[in-house]
Amino acid sequence: MRISIRHQLSTTPLPGSPNAVLHLLLTPQSGPTQTVESWSVEMAGIGNAGRFTDAYGNSVHLVNQRPPEGELVVTVEGVVTTVDRHGVFGRVGPGPVPALFKRVTPLTKAPVSLYGRFRGSKDSRIDVLHALMARVGEVLHSPTAVIQNQSQTQSGQSQSQSQGGPTAAEGEEAPPDLPRPPATDYAHAFIGAARALDIPARYITGYLVGDEDDPAAFHAWAEAYDEALGWVGFDAMLGLCPTDRHVRLAVGLDGLSAQPLRAVPAGDGPKEIGVSVEVVS
Amino acid sequence: MGDTTPFDEMHNADGSVREPYRALAQWLDEQPDKALTLMQSDAEAIFRKLGITFAVYGSEEGTEKVIPFDVIPRIISAMEWRKLSKGIEQRVRALNAFLYDIYHRQEILKAGRIPEKLILQNSAFCPEMMGLEPARGVYAHIIGTDIVRVGPDEFYVLEDNLRTPSGVSYMLEDREAMMQLAPDLFSRIKVAPVDNYPENLRRTLESVAPANVSGAPTIAVLTPGIYNSAYFEHSFLADQMGAQLCEGPDLFVDGGKVYMRTTTGPERVDVIYRRIDDDYIDPLTFRPDSMLGVPGLFDAYRAGNVTLVNAPGTGIADDKAVYTYVPEIIEFYLGEKALLNNVPTYNCVDEEERNWVLANIGDLVVKEVHGSGGYGMMVGPTSTKAQHAEFKRKIEARPDNYIVQPTLALSTCPTYVNAGIAPRHVDLRPYVLMGEEVRITPGGLTRVALKKGSLVVNSSQGGGTKDTWVLED
Amino acid sequence: MLGRTAQNLFWLSRYVERAENMARLLEVGYRMSLTSRREGGASEHLVSMMRAAEVDEAFEATGRQADLDTVAHYMMFDPENPSSVYSCLLAARTNARSVRTAITIDMWESLNAGWLEFAQIKPRDVRGAKLLGLLSWVKQLSHEFRGALLGTILRDDGFAFSQAGNFVERADNTARILDVKYYVLLPRAKMVGGDLDIQQWTLILRAASAHRSYRHVYHDRYKAHNIADFLMLRPEMPRSLIFCARYIEETLDSLADIYGKREGCQEAAAKLRAMVEGTNMETIFAHGLHEFLTEFIARNNAVSESLSASYNFY
Repeated sequence: MRISIRHQLSTTPLPGSPNAVLHLLLTPQSGPTQTVESWSVEMAGIGNAGRFTDAYGNSVHLVNQRPPEGELVVTVEGVVTTVDRHGVFGRVGPGPVPALFKRVTPLTKAPVSLYGRFRGSKDSRIDVLHALMARVGEVLHSPTAVIQNQSQTQSGQSQSQSQGGPTAAEGEEAPPDLPRPPATDYAHAFIGAARALDIPARYITGYLVGDEDDPAAFHAWAEAYDEALGWVGFDAMLGLCPTDRHVRLAVGLDGLSAQPLRAVPAGDGPKEIGVSVEVVS
Repeated sequence: MGDTTPFDEMHNADGSVREPYRALAQWLDEQPDKALTLMQSDAEAIFRKLGITFAVYGSEEGTEKVIPFDVIPRIISAMEWRKLSKGIEQRVRALNAFLYDIYHRQEILKAGRIPEKLILQNSAFCPEMMGLEPARGVYAHIIGTDIVRVGPDEFYVLEDNLRTPSGVSYMLEDREAMMQLAPDLFSRIKVAPVDNYPENLRRTLESVAPANVSGAPTIAVLTPGIYNSAYFEHSFLADQMGAQLCEGPDLFVDGGKVYMRTTTGPERVDVIYRRIDDDYIDPLTFRPDSMLGVPGLFDAYRAGNVTLVNAPGTGIADDKAVYTYVPEIIEFYLGEKALLNNVPTYNCVDEEERNWVLANIGDLVVKEVHGSGGYGMMVGPTSTKAQHAEFKRKIEARPDNYIVQPTLALSTCPTYVNAGIAPRHVDLRPYVLMGEEVRITPGGLTRVALKKGSLVVNSSQGGGTKDTWVLED
Repeated sequence: MLGRTAQNLFWLSRYVERAENMARLLEVGYRMSLTSRREGGASEHLVSMMRAAEVDEAFEATGRQADLDTVAHYMMFDPENPSSVYSCLLAARTNARSVRTAITIDMWESLNAGWLEFAQIKPRDVRGAKLLGLLSWVKQLSHEFRGALLGTILRDDGFAFSQAGNFVERADNTARILDVKYYVLLPRAKMVGGDLDIQQWTLILRAASAHRSYRHVYHDRYKAHNIADFLMLRPEMPRSLIFCARYIEETLDSLADIYGKREGCQEAAAKLRAMVEGTNMETIFAHGLHEFLTEFIARNNAVSESLSASYNFY
């Protein structure tokens, strides 16, 4: 699938800051599931940005913008061709040893009710992971989700913009069709549960091609490690392994380490201005 | 170990003077009355005038104290030192190899020699360091190894300080003061010099500059500022090695490179000897509320445009829980047996060991896993029943937060106190530099517990320092 | 050199000079208030000295009555008063600690020992004759620091920044003293001053430590014209406006030489000196003394500001 992406983010440094330093995780890489045809990151000061690879193998821009005037807007644009590998990313690519992704972070603490039933399971790891994906989806979709309270404090803590899908609106009384929690909650819950089962799992940011059920979005899902297959993607929100509708952007331990835009001084933001993900021929 | 009388470094059991101390003992005998009292007060004046002070945490703002200095030097023979320094070098090499492995392939975890959880879940482990290639593969360039002696031939390593060990300025100033106070002693006894430390530090820092630096690298010392308890040391070392002393706001990152703001504009910095803790060096990557650090500094490091000394994440190698595995680490990476002893450490998470610990707490030393500076620590034999009970409760509540060790009978050295010369317990922190080679300054900082019978040598808890002499052959 | 280091050196010297000037002003206010025979005269003198120190409004805001005790305490020891001797010495030492590697041990020792001694003093023990003793001790401390500086510091950019701080502060102080009392210096029909005038003139001269050197230069009784001339236009008087302005310009020019480049602050210094060069008191009186002094103070501030912009103080 040939996908054209345009994504705009903004941040507003506090007035009077001597300079703003931004860390951008907004560059996808070619790999088994995708080929990046063209990609550009545009913002004031990008010409002089530092470029390097971070601990998780992501391509990073470090931008120093001085003096910032009002809102700083980052625009990324590009075309990526994807193939459907049933979620199997494999073991290629740069990045740390899989065991690193067993480290539990404050954002990836899962309640035992989520994964307890899979402990000591005789099933294959892939079967367990599929069942876990279903379980996470079921728990988070349900209006009385055990995990809901926790996930709300988590997303506050992550200070990241809403990632994928409509955010749970407050005080809305609308059963049976409750809005779903953001994708980041599904990813964290899945990752936390997998790690609790001693399975390496990592956080993936990316773009999703929309369909009738889910609009196009900046999205998040998880990848878990299987000795035989390598990294395999699990999108608990959609309840499927990533397909050619998923464009991988960056990898991290959790939503915080994979944040697309970090800025110091933080000021107001980052905010998402808009994202479009379209299939082109 | 245990309840034996402590080893007296100056005297044999029969009261005769041990060989390394003979010349000193004779000199002490020759001193007229009051000579030591005079020396002691001269020493205090020297330190205060130079502004060698440290701020005491928790006391009134602006309170500065001079760490007490004892005028009687501590002496180590050339042979003893050779043995010690070989053991220290072995440890430092192994720990650096361990750091490289932990932040790359993690072979030692795969081999099951250290429990995976102990590393991966450890707050001192820094995932952002994964895959980074530090210059010359060195993570910990400046190390202070805490050593205690319990017998003529028995040394134990208490702690490997691989983060930002302090105190080296006291080692240098103690020698300076001693040479002013008793120049005649130095003409009688051949003592290995320590004053090349700043030059060696500079060489070490230069040797780990990023590969893309041409010409002499620019070195900066990064300090949290004048209110930090070790500020004197930061400015002292910067001055002694001719480096720029910077605070966070003096530096900025542009184009992935680090610059200082000078009177004539930005100037590139290549190596930063940072005396700011990992969490605070870069608000963009670590604690976002840090005002002390430099936004983007870690990214510039990651990009290979600057070297941070020591590297972030070295704390995993001196973590109190990892400490128990150091002999294992030495064997795994060097294929050698550890030359220096580790203090046996009880694991309170294990129920059987915990019960034994709780029953025998009066004889043991309890340390908080992430505590330092003598805070959050209890020495059983010198603590009250109430303190025993308090620490029992603490261990039961959070067994993983404490390590427990037997009380070591720290050796004693003659020390000048109100009552005259009396034995007091000491430890030793030799300073190690690791760049293109390993350099260990002969001696180090001897800390002495000035209170009779006390085993706590930390300056924040009433400890003092002594000049430490390694005899030349 | 770090921009911050330059800034610290500049303010270090400025604060030491300011501490000295505060002590000097308080001493004058103290003497005058003792000799004042008029009702309320004592308080008036003290207030006008505080005006010269630019702390009169802040003092008023404290709601305290201006008498010897309250004013002495406010100008010596009050940490709330950013220009009190206490605040100046503390700020000087804080700046010095930040640049320990850029100053000599002698400079540090003189300041550190002075601060440690000052910090021991209990304000309530300092009254009457003790106050005068302490005031002259503060001046001694400043002299000792300056002596240590001149005797030991390298003549590099660091020296230039500290000298600039010292003389910008001094020029400001002299101009303010003159401005507070400018009306007693104006030419008038009666050539001989009355008792009251003499008292005021003495005050001005004393505040600049110039009451004795005046005689060496003029060999004459106190005259308004001479006093103004002495403190403004005599290049041999080290606290005069012309002396300070020339020295500031020279110092900043040396910085331009060291760095091989002229910046905005060199122009600002030239503009400051141009005011006092090639003029005389008659011309200044004709254009208005007060207006002249106001402009001088403004240009002096401009030097300080452009220095900070030129060399990246932050």
